[in-house]
Amino acid sequence: MNPGRSLIAIQEKIKSGNFTISDLVQYYLERIEGAKHLNAYLEVFADEAITKAKILDEKLKNQPDQCGKLIGAVISIKDVICYEGHKVSASSKILNGFESLYSATAVQRLLDEDVIIIGRTNCDEFAMGSGNENSAYGPVINGVGENRVPGGSSGGAAVSVQMDTCLAALGSETGGSIRQPAAFTGIYGLKPSYGRVSRYGLIAYGSSFDQIGVFSHDVKTMASLLEIIAGNDPMDATSSTTPAGKYDFADTRGPQKIAYIDDVLNHPSISPDVKSATLKTIADLESRGHELVPVNFDFLDHVVATYYILTTAEASSNLGRYDGIRYGHRSKEAKDIHELYIKSRSEGFGDEVKRRIMMGAFVLSVGYYDAYFTKAQKVRRLIKEEIENIFSTFALILMPTTPDVAWKLNDKSADPLKEYLADIYTVIANLAGIPALSFPVSQSDNGMPIGMQLMAPQFKERDLLNFVETLH
Amino acid sequence: MVQYQTVVGLEVHIQMNTYSKAFCGDALSFGAEPNTHVSTISLAHPGTLPKPNKEHINKGLKLALSLNSEVNKVNAFDRKHYYYADSPKAYQITQDRLPICVGGALEIELADGSKKNVRIHHMHMEEDAGKTIHDIDTQYSMVDLNRAGTPLLELVTEPDLNSGDEVLAFIAQLQQLVRYLGISDGDMEKGSLRCDVNISVNPVGSKILGERCEVKNVNSKKNAKAAVLYESQRQIALLEKGLTFNKQTLHFDPESGRTSPMRDKEDADDYRYFPDPDLPPIRISQSEIDEIQELLPALPWEVKKKMKEQVKLNEYDSTILSSDKKIADYFFNLLEQKANPKLLANLMINKILPHLNGKEMSSIEIEEDVIISFLSLIENEKVSPSTAYQKLWPALIDNPSKPPKDLAQSLGILQIKDDGIISKIIEEVISENSVQAEEYRKGKKKVFGFLIGQAMRKSKGSAAPDVVKKALMDALHN
Repeated sequence: MNPGRSLIAIQEKIKSGNFTISDLVQYYLERIEGAKHLNAYLEVFADEAITKAKILDEKLKNQPDQCGKLIGAVISIKDVICYEGHKVSASSKILNGFESLYSATAVQRLLDEDVIIIGRTNCDEFAMGSGNENSAYGPVINGVGENRVPGGSSGGAAVSVQMDTCLAALGSETGGSIRQPAAFTGIYGLKPSYGRVSRYGLIAYGSSFDQIGVFSHDVKTMASLLEIIAGNDPMDATSSTTPAGKYDFADTRGPQKIAYIDDVLNHPSISPDVKSATLKTIADLESRGHELVPVNFDFLDHVVATYYILTTAEASSNLGRYDGIRYGHRSKEAKDIHELYIKSRSEGFGDEVKRRIMMGAFVLSVGYYDAYFTKAQKVRRLIKEEIENIFSTFALILMPTTPDVAWKLNDKSADPLKEYLADIYTVIANLAGIPALSFPVSQSDNGMPIGMQLMAPQFKERDLLNFVETLH
Repeated sequence: MVQYQTVVGLEVHIQMNTYSKAFCGDALSFGAEPNTHVSTISLAHPGTLPKPNKEHINKGLKLALSLNSEVNKVNAFDRKHYYYADSPKAYQITQDRLPICVGGALEIELADGSKKNVRIHHMHMEEDAGKTIHDIDTQYSMVDLNRAGTPLLELVTEPDLNSGDEVLAFIAQLQQLVRYLGISDGDMEKGSLRCDVNISVNPVGSKILGERCEVKNVNSKKNAKAAVLYESQRQIALLEKGLTFNKQTLHFDPESGRTSPMRDKEDADDYRYFPDPDLPPIRISQSEIDEIQELLPALPWEVKKKMKEQVKLNEYDSTILSSDKKIADYFFNLLEQKANPKLLANLMINKILPHLNGKEMSSIEIEEDVIISFLSLIENEKVSPSTAYQKLWPALIDNPSKPPKDLAQSLGILQIKDDGIISKIIEEVISENSVQAEEYRKGKKKVFGFLIGQAMRKSKGSAAPDVVKKALMDALHN
């Protein structure tokens, strides 16, 4: 059986009796089994998915008008998104065995529309990493090149979709953790605007950057899921009250003015493969009648530093709660409360998480705060203004998602700085709080996927989805 | 010999009586079973977020406006980091850079009647920590997170207080104010109001403040006063010996009346404050401020002034009747129902309040219209004031729903003022005591009292004495 890769197709086939939801779940469970060696899933909710599929099959038969909009959608969720009664660990030892008492708003909204959640996916510990090599439960491997990273931090989520083990996946982004793995695995990945999707139930890394987003094989499936999870949530004071509206494809729009940043094409970090793919995409868009214009962006060399100062500061604060007192790993060696903190956290956190907590605590400390944190906040505001300025003339900004294709396992994990620099094109959207969508365009000479991204002004997800849908 | 002056500034933590906690829906609790008022948010479970509580902000604004403090129309929350078992997030949400308001003042009145303006530095909103209890178990410390996340307002004064008595007066005035505003029960025993007292001494006339010591978490007005007395004497004694001392954090022991240094775990800490990214800045519009201003009740000092100047009560009566908003409201409510002000004030102070014995005004079992009838019996001289207090009031307490007039009737204490009845009594008295009456007429004036006594006895004490007096006089002089 081949259910296809779009929600519309799957729903039609279920309706016309080609297969049942139970068949579909069975199919995905077999796919999961077949891709087990890639380590994409930390846990598969097999029995639960089978049971729920039966219930939904009955519902379809007996109360078809009571069925949710997303019936037939089987998805995975990244292990930083809470699901009531299910384990959630942020791929960390410190939360080993921890079970969430509530569901994230995004998860609840999907469940209310009859989505089946088939498992939780591996990721970098606390979503910190670009290669998915920082998981306490082992790395995830890219399904395309078996010695390649899938990207991170939502590597498991990307591979779960790449390998057709589910229709779509919820991931999360702080600085590219959806788009970069989407590019590395040859699928679509969307990071919504900051404030578009509730962060309630998303384990916090950098609170002013974090967003839940979607992986899929096509834009329409992505739009259907986003429409459900987007919108204000009283549980998240930073979620926007601007209505999300419908992410339909009713508009036909003419030629668009699209900016691309000249410095990106000439940046030392960009690989020849990615550069030529970018030029090809520009030419392709022009041939479709769009106007592509190179623009200046003066902050390219500051974005990575700005991003890491602010996110590590927030992370150092957000991760303080993992102290072994109320839940999570508690050291058995501790003799007093001071030791309890030190030992529980030293044992529970991995190296990258410790590194970022220490950097964050440093940039927030008296005597360094202004030099680092305050300055980075100022630069972030300038970046935002510069991006808004570009959008005053252009509808979209085009950029490669990553400077290079997926690297080999263990290639960069020894040198954190090298890995940080690979985030250079993705962090811009997170710093500015704007939506960005990565879509597959081609492959490198060695067969690895290359992705491009388009960015739109804040809350213009609909425009972004509509435009990318016209490209295939 | 050098004269020293004591200089005190206060940091007062006021627990708000909001329906729910500062950043989540858990109900507030006092005295509940440990860890029964906790949710995933107050336990800082992964993925949870704080959500601001409008009631916390509005109650903060009420206090700000009543102190004439300037509201920051954009104020913001910050995170203050420290690790402790009763701090679930490892940071406290507070306001470091942009507090809800700055400036303002509270006027206090001292025992000698003098007044003093105490300036407010600022007030900020924050959340309370849980409690760590060390004396339940020998091996472990116990943590109760019911209190974690309770909304607080911290009020910081300028160093304008100069004695233990002033500190006591300030706290009492603030307690009265927060109770009037209905934003906190202000109860220090319950910890609803807690004080850090910063004390220094400097030579009189000197502008330079001495090194200050902070006495943490004082839990009664009396202890605050005692801490100021002890600590200023301790500091003066050291200075007089030519010794110096460092800035310290102290604990006050009410048993011994002494201060002692606390374990200094917090002193060198860097709290790494930064703006809380989970909580966008709070924007308060002028119309919101106007609305709150509009809703402010009459403040305690305004109420007292009204009692003195408009109702013409004396200082003592006004002080008592304005001490509590519900008492004052009750007083003014009955005034509107045409109660005699002075009689009402007397009744409340001498009978009603002692009867309630600290209970809420609303727990009085006698209806307002019954009180009004009671008072009008006195005012219309149907019952004498002393009889009303001694006999009728206790009867009313026992039969709160009976009309006071009926009660007075059955007690036989209704005063007879009827000239006809009284003349008849007098006639009888004169004829039964004709010898004495004749003596009076011949100039033996002191038998008058005897005759009055006979008349009163005949009326079983219910004749109005002044009417009896006049009628007897008339009868004897005919």
